[in-house]
Amino acid sequence: MTTAELLPLLFGESAAGITVTDQILTGYATVAGQDVAVLGTADGTYINNAAALRLSAHVIEVVKTRPGLPIVMLVDSAGQEPNRTAEMLGLAGYFGHLLASLELARNQSHRLLTLATGKAIGGAFICYGMFADAIYALDSASVGLMPVEAMAAVTKIPVATLEELSKTLPALEFGAEPFALLGGVKEVWPTDASLPAKLAAALASATTEDDRARLGKERGGRTLAFDVQQRVLADSAR
Amino acid sequence: MSRVPYHELKARERLAAIVDPGSFAEILPPPARVMSPYLPKLGIPVAFDDGLAIGRATIDGKPIYLAAQTGQFVGGSVGEVHSAKLVGLLKAAARDRLPCVLLIESGGVRLHEGSSGEIGIAEAIRAVFACRAAGAPVIAVIGSDIGAYGGMGILSACCDFRVMTEHGRLGISGPIVIEKWMGKAAYDSADRALVWKTSGGKTRYLLGDANALVNDDTAAVRAGIARLLGPASPVTLAAIEARQAELAARLEQFAAVTSPEAIWQARGVTDPAAATLDDAETFVASLAPAAP
Amino acid sequence: METFQHSFPSRPLAWPADRSWALAGVVGSGNLEVLIEPNPAAPDAVAYDLQTSIPGYADSWKAALADFAAHYAVGGTRITLHDQGAAPVVITMRLRQALDLLTPAQP
Repeated sequence: MTTAELLPLLFGESAAGITVTDQILTGYATVAGQDVAVLGTADGTYINNAAALRLSAHVIEVVKTRPGLPIVMLVDSAGQEPNRTAEMLGLAGYFGHLLASLELARNQSHRLLTLATGKAIGGAFICYGMFADAIYALDSASVGLMPVEAMAAVTKIPVATLEELSKTLPALEFGAEPFALLGGVKEVWPTDASLPAKLAAALASATTEDDRARLGKERGGRTLAFDVQQRVLADSAR
Repeated sequence: MSRVPYHELKARERLAAIVDPGSFAEILPPPARVMSPYLPKLGIPVAFDDGLAIGRATIDGKPIYLAAQTGQFVGGSVGEVHSAKLVGLLKAAARDRLPCVLLIESGGVRLHEGSSGEIGIAEAIRAVFACRAAGAPVIAVIGSDIGAYGGMGILSACCDFRVMTEHGRLGISGPIVIEKWMGKAAYDSADRALVWKTSGGKTRYLLGDANALVNDDTAAVRAGIARLLGPASPVTLAAIEARQAELAARLEQFAAVTSPEAIWQARGVTDPAAATLDDAETFVASLAPAAP
Repeated sequence: METFQHSFPSRPLAWPADRSWALAGVVGSGNLEVLIEPNPAAPDAVAYDLQTSIPGYADSWKAALADFAAHYAVGGTRITLHDQGAAPVVITMRLRQALDLLTPAQP
């Protein structure tokens, strides 16, 4: 589904308040009658310094002009732009700043909600989407560190081995459902007319607690993270 | 006093050299065997600490939490257990309102553990900001050739402060990935001088991404950390707006620039060729006042 | 990957009062890590537990580990090794380093 089709499905006529420039989304819309700010990426674009800066500029504008307005983040990006000048100019710093701007918004009572709509891969997901209070994904979204073929190419482990292991280790599988098993997304949603109601309900129930490790344990996809975190907290308190 | 080169040390040697003698108390030490369940299934040996030593210590008598990554172990990469130790440590630092020092040496997410390390880094980034909110500064120390890349590059950028040496590198995509993407003509990953001028400590310091550039010497690194063990850098609207303006100005100023030397000159390095060989202290001391 | 456990006789180690373990080396290409821990149940033997990424050298390993057990007083310990293709000289050096870290005063 293209961004042009998806935005009206999520936001109805209010999707007109969202500007898409160079695959970067910024603007305002309503979800089931509730005003929200919207930011994100479209069509699997790569995020570079300028893109990150436009997203953080929008966050700052929302914080300054619309106190407490929930922020909906849409993710459809294949990753950070692998480019020498982008790195030379400090891409990590631009991503860090984008995250810091979202932290500012969170601290000023803006709920942050992410919906992975297309590609939500690696650094592109880390640099804003995975920072939300609550994270959801469409069932058609490509969510994860990287596809199995790419993982095999880098690690030199055969695709067949990784695919066999991914049957019992969802961390090695690519997609929204296995990512949910790890606690990385709360729920996977079908792409249909129920989306606005689901979004509104998700905004109402979002809290600032990071419960991903607990979810990963409950769902059996990421069994160690929560317990190890708790052990460190317990041992350090002695 | 003779120098002890920071970049040549292993993680545990770095820890020992940075903190007050005998003050390091490890959390989940090697005998606890908190290890990766993924690697043995892929035929790769595990490490007792999963490549991350964490604990409490003091520097000049001040209590801190700290962590050190082992770059030799799967590239210092961050898997499920490794990230969970890091998250726990950061949460402990926020709880106790103590500074947290991260000796980083990592290529980012451990591919062998797929999305579990990716989510772990995302959790760690949330925990870094929890420390900042609690007034506990998080200090990233980047002084190894492996540097801080991928998700650990992003996490480093979220910390209150970054201390780098001329050996350290900070970025997201590494040179090999970029060379594959853009071609060898655009970025030759074997050109070490270009690689270090693209992402190395000197360039990061000149652009304001590193707060301190110190010599590749454990005493200098320790002193660089000690100077930052004060107040945290709070996430305020004023700070965010100032950084936004700074990053926008950087993009504008260097929009047409492709060579790192041009950045060096614009930021006060009069002779980039000579400055390449300078140690960090000499480099910083020789900077001309920046052009307005 | 290959793993094995094997015990060899060794004179009892005088365990230091202020330490409960010692670690030498790191897991990395051509390297290994060695952890020594107390094993009071068997004071006259050292219990080795090895994991190596290079299969097929069990006999060489056993020879090197038996030699270390015969040469040094490491009875009453458990020694765990995580190996990623270290050369024999590196293996011997790491075992020695771990023992030195545990008992720095020993000659």
